[in-house]
Amino acid sequence: MSAPSIRERLYESPGPKTRRRIAAFTGVALILLGLLLFLIVRQFALQGQLQPRYWDFFLKGSTWRYLGAGLLSTLKAALTAAVIAIALGFLMMRGKLRRFRPVRWLCAALVEFTRGVPTLLLIYFFFLVIPRMGITIGAFWRITLPCAISASGIIAEAFRAGVNAVPVGQTEAGLSLGLSNLRVFYQIVFPQAIRFVIPSLISELVIVLKDTTFAYVVSYADLMQNAKVLITSHDSLVSVYLVVAVIYILINYGLNKLSDRMARGTKKPAEAGQAKRRPA
Amino acid sequence: MTQIQTPGDKPVIELKNVNKHYGSLHVLRDISLSVGKGEVVVVIGPSGSGKSTLCRTINRLETIDSGEILIDGVPLPQEGRELAQLRAQIGMVFQSFNLFSHMTVLDNMTLAPTGVLKLPKKQAREEAMQLLERVGVADQAHKLPAQLSGGQQQRAAIARALAMHPKAMLFDEPTSALDPEMIGEVLNVMTGLAQDGMTMVIVTHEMNFARRVSDRVVFMDGGSIVEQDAPEAFFAHPKSQRAADFLQSIRAPEKL
Repeated sequence: MSAPSIRERLYESPGPKTRRRIAAFTGVALILLGLLLFLIVRQFALQGQLQPRYWDFFLKGSTWRYLGAGLLSTLKAALTAAVIAIALGFLMMRGKLRRFRPVRWLCAALVEFTRGVPTLLLIYFFFLVIPRMGITIGAFWRITLPCAISASGIIAEAFRAGVNAVPVGQTEAGLSLGLSNLRVFYQIVFPQAIRFVIPSLISELVIVLKDTTFAYVVSYADLMQNAKVLITSHDSLVSVYLVVAVIYILINYGLNKLSDRMARGTKKPAEAGQAKRRPA
Repeated sequence: MTQIQTPGDKPVIELKNVNKHYGSLHVLRDISLSVGKGEVVVVIGPSGSGKSTLCRTINRLETIDSGEILIDGVPLPQEGRELAQLRAQIGMVFQSFNLFSHMTVLDNMTLAPTGVLKLPKKQAREEAMQLLERVGVADQAHKLPAQLSGGQQQRAAIARALAMHPKAMLFDEPTSALDPEMIGEVLNVMTGLAQDGMTMVIVTHEMNFARRVSDRVVFMDGGSIVEQDAPEAFFAHPKSQRAADFLQSIRAPEKL
């Protein structure tokens, strides 16, 4: 009893005529795609971008070590930011679900603020404003904290949506057994909410990772920053950017695959018979 | 089986002049009801009559606007640890089972006994297995709820409530979400409980079960208790026109 794929949810299964049409369109699309790719490569070749001098330094170990160091810094910043963002997001979600109004309002305001302010603005705040307040923080935190804060509100909302998706009957059953509100939340509701949250959590992680490319603003030597140095020293903009783009894509693709795996791996709660209902 | 309450015998559950509104809708009108020890009270009535709400006020899953609810003569606590302790003593079975879907059946059974009653894990597991045996789903103990049939889930849910050694059990339409062939197995478990002397309040549409098992039938309509009587008397000679109409309406299809 596997869950239907999105395609099965949206369309009926195709008949013979439709199948032929799909095959024809697929063929045409593939040819067009190939043509487009050929034109792109040809244009680069015509402009001399495929000359060995733009590419041969990728054969040197030192190039990859340098990019690798940048990548490591990127991952370190992104991971730290993600952990902080998840912690902040969780706290804000708890706050927004509180019965005590001032806490709820404060957290709602924080969520709106963190969701509304662009990451770059926050980075400037940590880079330019905080030092004027007499507080000095290193480049690592100047990129990590803004990225974390700007993701935290979205993560808080993702957590809240997850908690809301857990049927109210689960809470009622827990309470009716004499479990405290705290136990009901941490032992019954939240573990089930996590399942709904993981995909959006990982999408947000991808955004955090991409946000860390703002590191050049604060001169933190991340992958992007190191790529820029390579570009200047080898005068090779296209090749370096292409390679770095591929690295980012591979990492984020991996993250998204991980998200799919985890979403599938976590246990499916019984959806049947758990619908919310109004008592008669 | 009609039970006559001797004077001085405190009711386990007592509602006095309970009122509740949902906005302008008066869902419970001046409800007074007492349930003695070992008594099985079945609440019936058309949908929207307030019977589920009534059932859910007894462990404060629904709050009330006025009136009083006493459990063993003590007013129902309003919040906090006292309320949780009281809920621990009253089992509740829901229409939609509400087994914790991320835990195995056995973990469902032991969560509250270990967490609330502070039973040692081993003892909780042994008791849980005995109860699962009793309701006939012991072989499903290590499965997740979604892997069980509706009837099995509901029986496990009853066992989960029993694991807290409740002094009374509330059943809120326990068979309404079940496929017809599974209703019998759940009603059998409930019949067994009634015979063992459990104090029970049951909201149900199963009239044959009500007639067979209950000590008293409470008929509700429009948020009020219209009449209550021993099952034989109620089903044979309802006193109110509304009860007569209700019984007529649910019997009508059987005559076709």
